[in-house]
Amino acid sequence: MQDFRTLKLLDRFERVFSSFGVDYKIMRKILQVKLTMDGRRVPTIFSQNAKKKDQESNNQYLKSLWIYVIFGLFTIPFVLLGENYLFQMSLFYGIFTFFVMTSMISDFSSVLLDIRDRNILFPKPVNRKTISTAKLVHVAIYLSFLTIALVSIPLIVGLVKNGLLFFIVSTLNIILIDLLIIGLTALIYLFILRFFDGEKLKDIINYVQIGLSLMIMVGYQLLIRSFQFIDLSVSLEPQWWQIFIFPMWFGANMEMIMNGSYQPFYLLFTALGILIPLLSIWIYMKFNDAFEQNLQKLTYHGKAKENKQGKLRQLFLKVICHTKEERAYFRFASSMMKNERDFKLKVYPSLGFSIVIPFIFIMNGFNNNFNELSTSKSYLTIYSSLIIIPTIMILLKFSGKYKGAWIYRVAPIQQLKPIFSGTIKAFIFKLYLPVYLLLSVVFIALFGVRVMPDLVIVFINAIIYAVICFMVLKKSIPFSESIDQYNQNSNAAIIFGLMLFVALFAGLHYVSTLFSYGIYLYMVIAIICLAALWKQAFHITWEKLMG
Amino acid sequence: MMEEVILEITDLKKNYGSKSVLNGVSLQVKKGEIIGYIGPNGAGKSTTVKIILGIEDNYFGEIKLFGHDISDGNIDYKRKIGYVPEIAEVYDNLTGQEYLTFIGELYGLDLELADYKAKSLMELFGIGEVYYSRIASYSKGMRQKLLIISSLLHNPELLFFDEPINGLDANSVMIFKEIMTQLSEQGKTIFYSSHIMDVVEKISSRIILLHDGKIAADGTFEELKQQNTKGSLEQIFNQLTGFNEHKELGARFVSVVKEM
Repeated sequence: MQDFRTLKLLDRFERVFSSFGVDYKIMRKILQVKLTMDGRRVPTIFSQNAKKKDQESNNQYLKSLWIYVIFGLFTIPFVLLGENYLFQMSLFYGIFTFFVMTSMISDFSSVLLDIRDRNILFPKPVNRKTISTAKLVHVAIYLSFLTIALVSIPLIVGLVKNGLLFFIVSTLNIILIDLLIIGLTALIYLFILRFFDGEKLKDIINYVQIGLSLMIMVGYQLLIRSFQFIDLSVSLEPQWWQIFIFPMWFGANMEMIMNGSYQPFYLLFTALGILIPLLSIWIYMKFNDAFEQNLQKLTYHGKAKENKQGKLRQLFLKVICHTKEERAYFRFASSMMKNERDFKLKVYPSLGFSIVIPFIFIMNGFNNNFNELSTSKSYLTIYSSLIIIPTIMILLKFSGKYKGAWIYRVAPIQQLKPIFSGTIKAFIFKLYLPVYLLLSVVFIALFGVRVMPDLVIVFINAIIYAVICFMVLKKSIPFSESIDQYNQNSNAAIIFGLMLFVALFAGLHYVSTLFSYGIYLYMVIAIICLAALWKQAFHITWEKLMG
Repeated sequence: MMEEVILEITDLKKNYGSKSVLNGVSLQVKKGEIIGYIGPNGAGKSTTVKIILGIEDNYFGEIKLFGHDISDGNIDYKRKIGYVPEIAEVYDNLTGQEYLTFIGELYGLDLELADYKAKSLMELFGIGEVYYSRIASYSKGMRQKLLIISSLLHNPELLFFDEPINGLDANSVMIFKEIMTQLSEQGKTIFYSSHIMDVVEKISSRIILLHDGKIAADGTFEELKQQNTKGSLEQIFNQLTGFNEHKELGARFVSVVKEM
C-alpha cells in the first residue's frame, strides 16, 4: 500500500483533528485503505470507455478529472463577459453545482453509503467519532479535487479580469456550495432511506449515473453551440421564487459586493447563502447517527410487489415469439436488461444519445426555417439513431453476474437458435422500440403524416441492421461474459465498418424517394431481405460458439 | 426395480494441464440410493459432478447416465438431472420469480406451471415473501434455498447436491433432510457431497470417499466402520485420508496466536 501525498498534507492538521477527539493515527490508516480501494474503482464519467486495469497506483478518478477541467473551461465566458454578476455568476454557480452534485451522487455514493464501515470497523476498538470523521474527510478530499479541477482556471481568469476581491468572494462561495452539496446529498439520502429500501435507493443512484453519462455525451455536442443561444445582456428582475434557486444566492452576493448595490433582496440572498450551507452541514453532523441507522436499511429489503403479466402483454409476446423456448429467453433477456444496473449504466446513456443525435443533425442543416424543414428530406436523419445498435449488440453478451451462465451448460438446451432470436427480439422491442416510437412521434410532428411510410421502413431497416450486426460480430451466449472485459476500443474498427451500413440504408432510402412509389418498393424489398436474413442468422451450434 | 443402474463411471481421469485431478474413478449408482460423496478439499468431488453435468469436458474414461454414454452429444439426459452447485452463482439482479421461472422454462416447463411450483416451494421453504424481490437482496440461506428449489422444479430423477446445506439454519436443515429421504423413497437418486460428516453419516445409504483423485472407500456406513477401527465418520475420514496431525497443528496455531 502506498502512502498518499494527500495524507501527508493532511498530517499538518493532526492537532486540529486530535483536539476534536479524533484518533488521528487510526483515521489516517482508515483513509489510506479507502484511498487504495478507490484506486481500483472506475468512475462513472469514465465507465463508457474504460477497461479496469490492475495497476495499483493509478487512481482512475484522478485521471478522470481532466474532463472536469474541460467542462470548467466552458464556464470561463460567464466570468469574462460583462458585469451582470447576478445573472452570469448564478449561471456559473449553477453549472458548478450541477457537475459536483451529479458526480457526488454517482461516484461518492459508494463512500457515503458504505455499510461495510459498520460491519468491519464498528466491532474494532475504534471510536465512532474517528470513523465518521474519516468518512467526512474522505468525501472532502475528493470533493476538493473535483472542485479545484472545475473552477481553478475560470477563477484565475476572474482574478485577472475582475480583481482580487472577485477571486476571494467566489472562492468562499465555492466552499460554501461544496458544504451545501455534502449536506444536501446526505439529507436527500436520509430522506429516501426513510421511506424506501436499499434497492430503491440503488435504482435512484443508477438513474442519476445514467443521467450524468448522458449529459456528458450530449454536453460535448451542445455546449459549444449553446453560446449562440445565451443572451448575456439579460437583466434579472428580483422575483420571490428565485429564493429557491440556490446558485442565485451566491450570484446575488457577487452582485452586491462587486457592484455595490445593497438592496434588501440581495442582502437576504447573501444571508441565506452563508447560513443554509452551515446549517445543512450542522444538520448532517447532528443526524449522522440517524443516517448511519438508516443505512442499515440498505441491507434490509422489504417485500416486493408482485408484478402481474398483463393478458395483453402475453398475447403480444405470443405474436412475436412463436416457440415456448424463445418466449422464455425473451422474458429472461428483458428482465436482465431491466434489472441489471451495470448493463443499464452502459446502455441507457447511448439510448438517450440516439434520441438526441437526429436533432443535432437537423440543427446543423437548418437555421430555424421551419417551413423549409417540414417539406425537406431531413427526416432521414432518423437513421443516425441506428448507430448505437452495434454497441448494444456487443454489450448483450456481457453481464456483471456473468458467472450465473453455468445454467446454460447444465440445462438441456438442444438448440441455440431461440436463445439468440429471443434475446435480439427482446432488445428490439424493449430497448429500441421505445426510442423509435418517441422519435417517430416527434418526427411526425415536425414533418407531417407523410413520413409515416418512411418511418415504417426505418424500423424494418433497424431490425435488419440488428441482425446484420449479430451475424458480423463475434457470437457469445447472452450475459455470459464479465462486463469488465468490455472495451469499446477493441471493437472500434468493426463498429465503424458496421456504421457504413447505416449510411447505405439511408442512401438507398433517399434514392427510393426520388421515384413515385419508390419507397413502397423499398419497403417490400426490405421485408424480403429481413425474412431471408432472419432465417439464416441464427443457425449456430455449440461448437461454433466455443471455437 | 431397485437394482436399476442410473449412473456408471468407468476409469474417469481428468487433468488440468500437468496437474491430474481424477486418477481413474469407477463407480456405479443404483436407483434410489443416497450417496454421500466426501473427501478433503481438492480431492476432485466437484470436478466429478461437473464432468457428469457437461460443465467440464476433456476427460478420459466413460460415463453412462440412464444407460447412455454422455459423450454421444445427446443432451436429453440433462432433463432428468437437478444440480445445486457449491458456489451459488446466479443472475442475482433478477427477482426470485424471474430466475426460477426462467430455469423452469429451460427445462421445458410451462411458464404458469413453473411459476406456480416455484412460488409454492418458496412458501413451503419459508421464503415466500421474497419471491418477487431481487435475489441480490437475499441472505445466504435464502439463496441456498432458491438454488435447491431451482434444482427440483422439473422433478428430476437424479440429483447432485454440492454442499446443499451451506448457510441453512438448523430447522431448514431438518426440512431438507426430510425432503431427501422422501425423494429417495420416491425412487430418486441423490448424489450428495458435503464436509459436514454427521449429516452425511445419518442420511446416506452409501458413502464414497474420494482422496487424491481416487476412491479410497465405498460402502455403507456400517461397512466402513467394520473396515476401519475408528468409530465416527469423521474419524474414519481422518484415518483414510492419512491425516493425524490435527493436535500438533492446533497447538502450533495457538502458540502463534499467543505471541505479542
